[in-house]
Amino acid sequence: MAQSRDSVFYTEEGFEHNLPRRHRAAKGWQIALLASMVVAILALIALLLNIIDGAFGYVAVQNTVNPGDLVLGIQEEEMLAVANTQSSEDDDALARGVAGDPHAIGFFGYAYYQEHADDLRTLAVDGVIPSAGTVDSGEYGLSRPLFLYSTAQLMREKPEVASFLNYYLDKVNGEIDDVGYFPLGDLVLNASMLTWMNATGTDTEDAETVSWPVLSPQGLDGEVIAAGSSTVYPLSVRMAQRFEEAGYAGEITNESIGSTAGFRRFCVDGTADIANASRPITRQEIQLCDRIGRDPVEFRVGTDALAVVVSQENTFLSEVTTEQLQAIFTTAETWSDVDPNWPDEPIQRFIPGADSGTLDFFVEAVFTQDLAELPKETLVSILQGHVSEGLFRRFESEVPFAERSQEDVYQLVVERVVEPKIEDTWPFFASVLRRSEVLAEAAEKYPEAEIRFVSWIDPGFIRSPQSTDPEKAGVRTAILGSLWTILITVLFAFPLGVGAAIYLEEYAVDNRLNRLIQTNINNLAGVPSIIYGMLGLAVFVRALESLTSGKLFGVVDPTTANGRTILSAGLTLGLLILPLIIINAQEALKAVPNSLRQAGMGLGATKWQTIWHHVLPNAMPGVLTGTILAVSRAIGETAPLVVVGASTFITVDPTNPFSKFTTLPIQIYQWTSRPQDEFRNIAAAAILVLLFLLLTLNASAVLLRNRFSKRRYS
Amino acid sequence: MTDNGSANKPLPANGRYAIEARDLSVYYGDFRAVKDVNLHIEPRKITAIIGPSGCGKSTMLRAFNRMNELVPTAWAEGEVLFRGQNIYSPNVDAVQVRRHVGMVFQKPNPFPKSIYENVAWGARINGYKDSMDELVERSLRQAALWDEVKDKLDQSGYSLSGGQQQRLCIARTIAVRPQIILMDEPASALDPIATLKIEDLMRDLAENYTIIVVTHNMQQAARVSDQTAFFMMDEDRAGYLVEYGPTNEIFTNPHDQRTEDYITGRFG
Repeated sequence: MAQSRDSVFYTEEGFEHNLPRRHRAAKGWQIALLASMVVAILALIALLLNIIDGAFGYVAVQNTVNPGDLVLGIQEEEMLAVANTQSSEDDDALARGVAGDPHAIGFFGYAYYQEHADDLRTLAVDGVIPSAGTVDSGEYGLSRPLFLYSTAQLMREKPEVASFLNYYLDKVNGEIDDVGYFPLGDLVLNASMLTWMNATGTDTEDAETVSWPVLSPQGLDGEVIAAGSSTVYPLSVRMAQRFEEAGYAGEITNESIGSTAGFRRFCVDGTADIANASRPITRQEIQLCDRIGRDPVEFRVGTDALAVVVSQENTFLSEVTTEQLQAIFTTAETWSDVDPNWPDEPIQRFIPGADSGTLDFFVEAVFTQDLAELPKETLVSILQGHVSEGLFRRFESEVPFAERSQEDVYQLVVERVVEPKIEDTWPFFASVLRRSEVLAEAAEKYPEAEIRFVSWIDPGFIRSPQSTDPEKAGVRTAILGSLWTILITVLFAFPLGVGAAIYLEEYAVDNRLNRLIQTNINNLAGVPSIIYGMLGLAVFVRALESLTSGKLFGVVDPTTANGRTILSAGLTLGLLILPLIIINAQEALKAVPNSLRQAGMGLGATKWQTIWHHVLPNAMPGVLTGTILAVSRAIGETAPLVVVGASTFITVDPTNPFSKFTTLPIQIYQWTSRPQDEFRNIAAAAILVLLFLLLTLNASAVLLRNRFSKRRYS
Repeated sequence: MTDNGSANKPLPANGRYAIEARDLSVYYGDFRAVKDVNLHIEPRKITAIIGPSGCGKSTMLRAFNRMNELVPTAWAEGEVLFRGQNIYSPNVDAVQVRRHVGMVFQKPNPFPKSIYENVAWGARINGYKDSMDELVERSLRQAALWDEVKDKLDQSGYSLSGGQQQRLCIARTIAVRPQIILMDEPASALDPIATLKIEDLMRDLAENYTIIVVTHNMQQAARVSDQTAFFMMDEDRAGYLVEYGPTNEIFTNPHDQRTEDYITGRFG
């Protein structure tokens, strides 16, 4: 690269500047350093993202018992218990009862009203009279869908079932008016037909090109048993009749026993081929069906409206509101209780029985009560009815129900009876980035479940103790354990470590013994933490048991029979970080300029005065930085604590240094090794708590340090 | 060991000298840094110690208040008499000595505290009971710093300039009311104007205090000192006193050839 001497920056003899190569090398190093930093930051980000991925996300929550059903059950019982109330599964009996008494009121399917239209009068509810128009548009509040349920397997095994349903769907809209219900719109009926084709396998890839097969009942034989809703009953009877007329040789049996009983026959006993229902099947009923290998398919066949009826002889009623209906069927004794304009006569009530879907439907439609708003007494009786006697007695003995608030009892009911269970979880980034996919998957897998975006870390998680149920488990015990342990660790290691450092730096003369001690301390900082755990086990847990278990101080904790206490753990961690604190404090002391010591001594101060007033305050920021690092390490330690005997499952808060304990890292370690997915989520949440705890402790230490630093310059 | 309480009791009088070294040798381990020095310091005068680098000037200075002992291996032989009392005798407390023989260092080294606290601390740890505000003001006035800092006493000593810091160190030293002030090249880290101020201050202080100053700066020694001691080192690198006398005499009419060679700049 020699340049001529004419150049401004010519190259001298004996030099070879080689500038491009030197610049390349410099650039290369710069890039390498940048890369190291980037890798470090990426690792940190990846760690955080990984934790966040677990700590938030969608969950599918399913209630073991539908809270609506609980309210329903309570409400029905209440209605049935009211005086002057007659209930029957036989709608004809109800119709007759109402017709015979001018002060009677009742409700049942619109069909029965039509049959008895001469004796009965239907009331407008909230100003809407039931009619094809008002029911179809949904204006009339007391209307409900009618269903048939069967299974694909049944329809294959018993062609007469498939054929009957085929006929049913084909002809229902022609008959339904006559029976007294309201026909389905084309869209809904088509959906039912598609379901039938799906179940029988007669559909093809392209559903549009396939046409509805009209099967002939000719030549078919066998018995088809349909059971369930008294509302669907007349329609099904009519369709069965027509089916037989069309040439069916076998027998179709219809039983009017109520929707719920019908599902029982269909899903539990397995004796019914078809369930007639005036409400959709519940999740529990699907599960029941599943147990006997039945997978129900649903056919919507029509719409029913409830008719609230009075006798033709009734003179004062033409319309009611929902609120009035509530009063009429529960609290009111006489008509004048509901409305002073009405006669002072007892209300005679005729309602369908508890097994009837009609009653369920009425209660659902009229009483919109929320479980959370039920009175305490009702909630207590729900609880009593659903939990074991022993558990109920335990609640009573913990806090008598008389003293509990409604809110408290409601929580108990939710926790013990409704029992929301998390069926599945999705990680954060899937939940955010593939939201629609996740929601679709969840909806398909858990149609009944509520899909919620949850933060696994919430106030309840912080406040609750450990539990075997990941949804109830929290980190309170672990946080308290960690704080107690760290307190002991700091109280033990900080004064000891700083003291040792001051001695080594300020007092110890440079001789062979002190050099040996120094080397030893440096080496101790590198000993694996598990070794400290073994030391702690041998010394603090075993040899010093009487001290660490608190026996020496007269503390007798019935749960602790030995030295596996917070004190042992704190001392063990203290030993672990002692070398770190000593080394860091020594470095900080070394960094204090000698001129400061001379200035102090030169004024006639003793060595200790100089150290205490000048050397130590100036070394303090460095000492604290070292201590922060050391304590951070102690907070995150797991192995030595496992050896020293941290509890893996403990729900009792530590109250003193002689308590049994667990710490956050141990809790996290234990949770990550559980098989259930949810434990991974709460482990992630616990890691966030741990990070937050670390951040808080570090921040307060940094604040403390800055106070020292400030003193230094002002 | 004597406690701080006895600090106020006068030590036995020692004739006319403020402090006196007799056959003093100072060692660092086996190494003799200063040998067989006999030096008597006049009271209320400024005594300059000059000499080439490494001749033991600073060691000699520090021997006067046992500051050498901060070096773990240092020890001394011979006597230093302060008002008749050998400060190296076993029953004398070095802490006591340093309160009576104060020291100002080469580099200004105020405490990392407020200006007020810098001055007050020494007095406080020595058990000063009277009004601290008065003491601080008086000391700062004596150190010719009061007017510059009176409005910012709560600010850090580090906020001052180098020359002000050095005067603060002097104020801090005189606040414990020593009789002798040792100054180890007090102006060597300062600019010429700050240096002049320090020198003026030294002259003022000499009315009340005995000052021993080590300096590399011959002009400074000539300007400020009343007495001058010239040190050199022998072939074992041990420092020894060559000549001691009134400054005028040393600079204009030295008795020793080596002194003349040194002050005329022939070596050193």
